[in-house]
Amino acid sequence: MTMFLIKKSDVGKIAEELARDHQVYGPMIEKGSGQTFFDRADDVSEISLSAPIPSNPPKSVVFPQMERVLAYEYDRPKNSVKIEPDYKVEPKALVGLRPCDLAGMLCLDRFFMGQEFVDEVYLAHRKKMFIVTNTCVAPFKQCFCVCTDSGPAASEGYDLNLTDLGDEFLVETGSEKGAVFAAGLGLAAADDSHLARKKKIVDKSISLFEDIAVDSKAWISRVMNRVTTGFVKEEVWEYIGDQCFECGACSFVCPSCSCFNIADVTNPECEGCADRLRSWDSCSYEGYSRMAGGHNPRKPVEDRRNKRFFCKLSYSQMKKYLRPGCVGCGRCAWVCPGDIGLPNVVTYVRREITR
Amino acid sequence: MNQKPGVCTFCGTGCGHFIGVENNRIARVYPSQNHPVSKGRLCVRGWNIHELLDTPDRIKKPLIRSDGPFVEASCDEAVGRLIDSLKKYPPESIGFLASPRSSNEEQYLLMKLARSVFGTNNICLDSESGHRASLNVLHAGTGMAGMLGSIEEIRGAEFILVAGIDITRQNPIIGSEIHMAARAGAMVVTMDSRRTQIARLSKKFLQVRPGANKLAVLALAKTIYEENLHDPSFLEAHTEGFEGFRRAFGKLSENELYEKTGLKADEIKTVARHLARAKSAMVFFSSGISGLDEDTIGYIYNLFLLAGKIGKEGCGVNPIAGLNNLQGGYDMGLAPDLLTGFQPLADAATAKKFEKEWGTALPSSPGKPIYRSLADQASELKALVVVDHDEGIVRYADAIKKLDFVAYIGAFKNPFAEYAHVVLPIATYVQEDATFTNAERRIQLSTKKIEPEDGLLPGWKLYSMIAAKAGRAWKYAKVSEVMDEIARLTPAYAGVTHAKLAGGFGLQWPVDDKNPGGTRRFDLAKAGRKLAFYGVSDVFEAPSADDRFPFLLMVGKAQHFWHQNNLMKKTHIPMREYNATLMDYPEGYVEICPQSAKEIGVRDRWPVRVVSPHGEMRVSARVSDDVSPNTAYAPYFVQEMISRFLLGHTEVLRQGEDATIPVRIEKV
Repeated sequence: MTMFLIKKSDVGKIAEELARDHQVYGPMIEKGSGQTFFDRADDVSEISLSAPIPSNPPKSVVFPQMERVLAYEYDRPKNSVKIEPDYKVEPKALVGLRPCDLAGMLCLDRFFMGQEFVDEVYLAHRKKMFIVTNTCVAPFKQCFCVCTDSGPAASEGYDLNLTDLGDEFLVETGSEKGAVFAAGLGLAAADDSHLARKKKIVDKSISLFEDIAVDSKAWISRVMNRVTTGFVKEEVWEYIGDQCFECGACSFVCPSCSCFNIADVTNPECEGCADRLRSWDSCSYEGYSRMAGGHNPRKPVEDRRNKRFFCKLSYSQMKKYLRPGCVGCGRCAWVCPGDIGLPNVVTYVRREITR
Repeated sequence: MNQKPGVCTFCGTGCGHFIGVENNRIARVYPSQNHPVSKGRLCVRGWNIHELLDTPDRIKKPLIRSDGPFVEASCDEAVGRLIDSLKKYPPESIGFLASPRSSNEEQYLLMKLARSVFGTNNICLDSESGHRASLNVLHAGTGMAGMLGSIEEIRGAEFILVAGIDITRQNPIIGSEIHMAARAGAMVVTMDSRRTQIARLSKKFLQVRPGANKLAVLALAKTIYEENLHDPSFLEAHTEGFEGFRRAFGKLSENELYEKTGLKADEIKTVARHLARAKSAMVFFSSGISGLDEDTIGYIYNLFLLAGKIGKEGCGVNPIAGLNNLQGGYDMGLAPDLLTGFQPLADAATAKKFEKEWGTALPSSPGKPIYRSLADQASELKALVVVDHDEGIVRYADAIKKLDFVAYIGAFKNPFAEYAHVVLPIATYVQEDATFTNAERRIQLSTKKIEPEDGLLPGWKLYSMIAAKAGRAWKYAKVSEVMDEIARLTPAYAGVTHAKLAGGFGLQWPVDDKNPGGTRRFDLAKAGRKLAFYGVSDVFEAPSADDRFPFLLMVGKAQHFWHQNNLMKKTHIPMREYNATLMDYPEGYVEICPQSAKEIGVRDRWPVRVVSPHGEMRVSARVSDDVSPNTAYAPYFVQEMISRFLLGHTEVLRQGEDATIPVRIEKV
């Protein structure tokens, strides 16, 4: 694939150019609170490639928190129904995506599009998408993507990948679409020496991770092995389950969590009319796994909690695609009232291994 | 970017969030990372607030009815009908039931409307009015009618007592802070009759007999005093009235205390020693139906005063508000005998200040609490105005049906509106600038995020319109001017303006010349007075079980049940969780331990009859290890319990008395 260089002062042109025929999304800092959001940019100059990792994953672009997927109107006397699918088909561009978040979206792709049935709603969001990733030249405090094979540089799935070389950005193209777009920008070509500089920067970035992530890349993989083979004691899960507040936050902020609920909301002002809403759901809720008739295979909170970690570290992605369902972004640790984000859980399971 | 900062309006924690707006509709919610209270966390309710704010289950048109069904009306017409109906009665026959969910500005104007336009002091808060008990104790003791500590200081406390509150359910983010403190090494002790989540996360769990919290607190205080763990020089220099409290110590022997509380001597002594020796200590409790009564709160406050744990960093006697603006409700004077900022109506200088500002005479005799009037067959109450009733079940429905006139003002549909003759819609809190005061006295501004639907007025405009039509023009050009007026009349809010709150995370009152940045916690050094021990009774009538009624029944909250879920039912996922419980236990449940279940001969989900000296109800049994033998627990959402069974126990309802009732449980 081709490589180019773009001056720092010109890097905003990528988003500007994409904005001609895309809805552009990117990391932006909310001024009042200083919090970074990955959100739709009304003004692409607000997108900041140096902003900290966004507080929200880009998941909401392709899988919104609450979304109307269709509307229907049932005419009882005529016994007929009018169904209007509501797919959001506008082309979207994600600019400045962090590598972990891209890895998360690839997990979602496998879930929604890589199995027997393709999810049309997700597909509509995802097709025609242009992705520009941004290499993390230094990790943030909670990051552990080096342990989950998802950073600090993206290796697949992007159209363009940017790396801050100091005075300029290296632009790598990752797809035909990306190559055509980059060629159209009239940029200077890059060569292997720039690639070598990128490698140095990535190595430096890896060395800056928290000790636990640097010293022991097996930190997570040993636990994955343990979880996959089912050797974690009940007491460990109970200890973790006792601390779960059942808020669902870990699922909501996870770039790779894909579970959803469907509800038909009737319109009190129009008889027979309803909106079908799809919204984020979480395995931490008791009603999530409750079956018709009342049986619940995962009623106690610890059974629901361990389900999350089986899912992240074992069966949802690992057993099918040989990669963890966790992408090492650390957001679950930020938002958890019980302080049982994935890093802590890994620590508790490891404590059990070493005992 | 489309992320608008705001304040979650479910419980009294006051977490910060961001609301995403699309096409003038609320589309999503996300936690605020840098918010000093919530620090990037939300609970299950907070994570689903966007669905509530986008629900079609709203009141959108004014409705009136004469004898038949409701008909749509113009706002003018409905307001005219409301005024005409109220003006028919003398002020003592009119009542206002205010909402602890309304903003400070709305609460204040409703209070002003009741007093200055309709001349009545019959105004009180609709739910969780038991919070008053906590404020009475703290106000009498320290002069501060609010939480003495601060949520931000929880992680710095060395000792934390959680007394009779299921805090990880009621106010989960405060529960989270306590959990984080425990993980960082704080000695967290839970005192409860039921093994709650915070009990499991605590270093020590004192499982007291139901109704014996006061005795357990007495036992702790007695230990501190008798082992000389307190600091006599602190008592001498900073407190008064200890003698009155000390008299209670001799009333019961140690053995009686252990027997009545169900606790062991070494449990009590260890905890008392930890409390006394810690550099800083906090206590959390709630008042009302699922919390404690005023006397027990007095004992808790006195215990912490004796231990010298008031007015210092990391210390605090902290009542927890279950509703977002419950504290604000009392700050805004929503009580028959109070004006704003806990200023007594009976105080002539205060009344004069209000009369001057409002340009009218105030009704001087204190009013009556509405629910007490409804319970009283001989009550003069004839007309009632209700704002945003929070509960899904209407108590005293028979008495309400007998009223001549009921008006319902609210944003969301509620069963209470079915009893109304006039229904007036108002905008939701995201459709106007509004301030709310959380449990730790933090006044936060939540700015307008979307435009109200056509014809819908925000509460402050509707109340202004009612006042104008009734002959009193208020002339507020914008809602911030309402806060300016509150600030002029309320010493604790003296320095508050919307401009000062904008863009920040709020200010904790008192905010005045001396504390322009607010006041994080009650400070002994700045108190300028001695702290008074609260006058508590030394009568101990712990409810006791006997052969006829062998179980002690407690009432409280459950995982997805807050105020019978009027609001949560409008959100899909919490509604599913709620329905899941209802599918398992369609009539609600009473929780008993496996041993009791065996003795009665029932299993989980089997129907039982709960019989007390005053009534009976039919529910399902839920078998759980969280309660002790001969103890039963019923969540406060069981229709039959609230609308019928508990009404027979008026004493329990009135006092918020631990709500412990001796009952018999029978298989049916």
